[in-house]
Amino acid sequence: MPNTIAVELRDVVKAFGSVVAVDNLSLSIPDGEFFSLLGPSGCGKTTTLRMIAGFEMPTSGEIDIAGEAQGYRPAHRRPVNTVFQHYALFPHMTVYDNVAFGLQMQKVDKSAIARRVAESLDLVQLNGMDKRRPKQLSGGQQQRVALARALINRPKVLLLDEPLGALDLKLRKEMQVELKTLQQEVGITFIYVTHDQEEALTMSDRIAVMDQGRVQQLGVPEDIYERPVSRFVADFIGETNFLHCMVMQTAPRGEVELAGGIRVPVSWIREGISPGSQALLSLRPEKINLFELSDTYPTGPDSAVVHGHVERLVYVGTDTHHTIKLDNGATVIARVQNFHVEEEPWEIGEEVIVQWDAAHARVFRE
Amino acid sequence: MSAARSSSEGRMRARLGPWALVIYGILAFAFLYLPIIIVVIFSFNDSRSTAQWSGFTMRWYQELMGDDQILLSLWNSLFVAVISTLIATVLGTLAALGLERYTFRGKLVVDSAFYLPIIIPDIAMAIMLLIFFNTSGIGFEPWRVSFLGTRLAVPYSVIIGHVAFNIAFVTVVVRARLASMDMTLEEAASDLYANSWQTFRRVTLPILMPGILGGALLAFTLSLDDFVITFFTSGAGFNTLPVRVFGMIKRGVTPEINAISTLMLLASFGLIVFSILSRRRSGSDEEAIQFGL
Repeated sequence: MPNTIAVELRDVVKAFGSVVAVDNLSLSIPDGEFFSLLGPSGCGKTTTLRMIAGFEMPTSGEIDIAGEAQGYRPAHRRPVNTVFQHYALFPHMTVYDNVAFGLQMQKVDKSAIARRVAESLDLVQLNGMDKRRPKQLSGGQQQRVALARALINRPKVLLLDEPLGALDLKLRKEMQVELKTLQQEVGITFIYVTHDQEEALTMSDRIAVMDQGRVQQLGVPEDIYERPVSRFVADFIGETNFLHCMVMQTAPRGEVELAGGIRVPVSWIREGISPGSQALLSLRPEKINLFELSDTYPTGPDSAVVHGHVERLVYVGTDTHHTIKLDNGATVIARVQNFHVEEEPWEIGEEVIVQWDAAHARVFRE
Repeated sequence: MSAARSSSEGRMRARLGPWALVIYGILAFAFLYLPIIIVVIFSFNDSRSTAQWSGFTMRWYQELMGDDQILLSLWNSLFVAVISTLIATVLGTLAALGLERYTFRGKLVVDSAFYLPIIIPDIAMAIMLLIFFNTSGIGFEPWRVSFLGTRLAVPYSVIIGHVAFNIAFVTVVVRARLASMDMTLEEAASDLYANSWQTFRRVTLPILMPGILGGALLAFTLSLDDFVITFFTSGAGFNTLPVRVFGMIKRGVTPEINAISTLMLLASFGLIVFSILSRRRSGSDEEAIQFGL
């Protein structure tokens, strides 16, 4: 049966004394999905993972794994395995014994263990390392041992708690690709906790952005980035410009007034914001187009146009960040890709036409 | 000129510095080891005199081996040390686990109480134990046992007394190890289907083992070495080696005492070597490196 549910959380609350770490969380994660819990530290993502693993018990609510209610079942009786942030490899055991541990506890017979350890080490490209101790391995290799140790048990769900956090940037990027490939290969549901938005965007099938114990937005990476539903999400994922505005009308099409009485069309206004109220327009820097006064630029009902002056230029290789002081006093940053190197760059103080499409402008509560 | 002089003074100081340090070092070591060396040398002295060298002999060692009283007190010492170390190590390790892992009402009081035997003077502890055994009326009857082919009669009070102060030391050493242990290792074990007992047996205990062994060796040494508490809790007619030596020394320092001291020195040295070797075998690599092995 395709699309069965691997993990389901219903109204899960976790309170530590008076601090509510996870606040009425409901999630449904289908089989085989790469699902990420993304948020700043203290948002409740790790607590959520620990409740699924069985290291913490929910204060209220229910957790099902593979259709079975877990209740107060302890960690060692749950069909999930965890890759820990600092790997938590057993320092007194060899790589072989680390990887074999789960099967030994399940009383699998010795020859089967030997075969599956070899397979698992093969899967993470650590053949021939079985007699080493964790201390003798590099960070990346320890990471792979931790993966092999978890995957060898063929869990219904693999839980990963910031597993790449301790690696350097280059290795982290390599491991991102490798993890994703591995996940597709083994077809196991991955629940991945991270505070790194780029990591979540590149690997996940779906992402839950968490803040203050609640899911702020749940969706595919493109949704999360292109169509954030709150100021928090827009701000936490990627970079964004926020402009103060007053909502003029919400239907049939959205329109807001920026400072200085400039009216611009918008594609989406958060539910519950009524005309006449103050709000925040969010706009990604790469969605802004810059034109010289003599250029022709898109006009029409779906195009927003504001005049301004170039205040600062920061060259960052792939693109250049233009800080533009708008004529109404606000400041925006526009990222322009360095497509033609021979093109004449903007000059500081030069007058510029700032244009964007209504489709990219989204309006949230202040 | 003054610049030249001050620079030559600087050179003087630079040359004097390391020499002063070397001399200081030699003096410090001499202070620590000269008495020991003298004891060792005079244990081979062919004379009753402990002040004048009159030639090499093994006579005193032969006399020791023939002295039933001394041998008996040696077996008593070893027996008390082995038994009290075993008991104190088990209890001390359990106490360390309890104090480090759980929070409970009155934990601070219990915690502080564990340090008491380390802090209070031996004599105070000895008197308290003596009063306890006297008033409770338990303890002074002997445990009759055959140990290494010798029949011993060891008062329970001595063993209980040694356990009482050894627990504290074992607890402190094991707790230090526990505190530095990564707690997620136990979570990892339970995540890999190990129940609490398996987690303890396969992960916690092996990782604590260097600490437990260290605590046990410390307890063993302290027990072997103890005079005051043994003296007060043993009742009449029971001697461990230190108590026996104290009895002998009242009649003056003899070459036999030098020989006993030398043998005890050798035993301590053996314990240290064993301790280092067992650390290395237990596979805690970082510690082996610390010891330069």
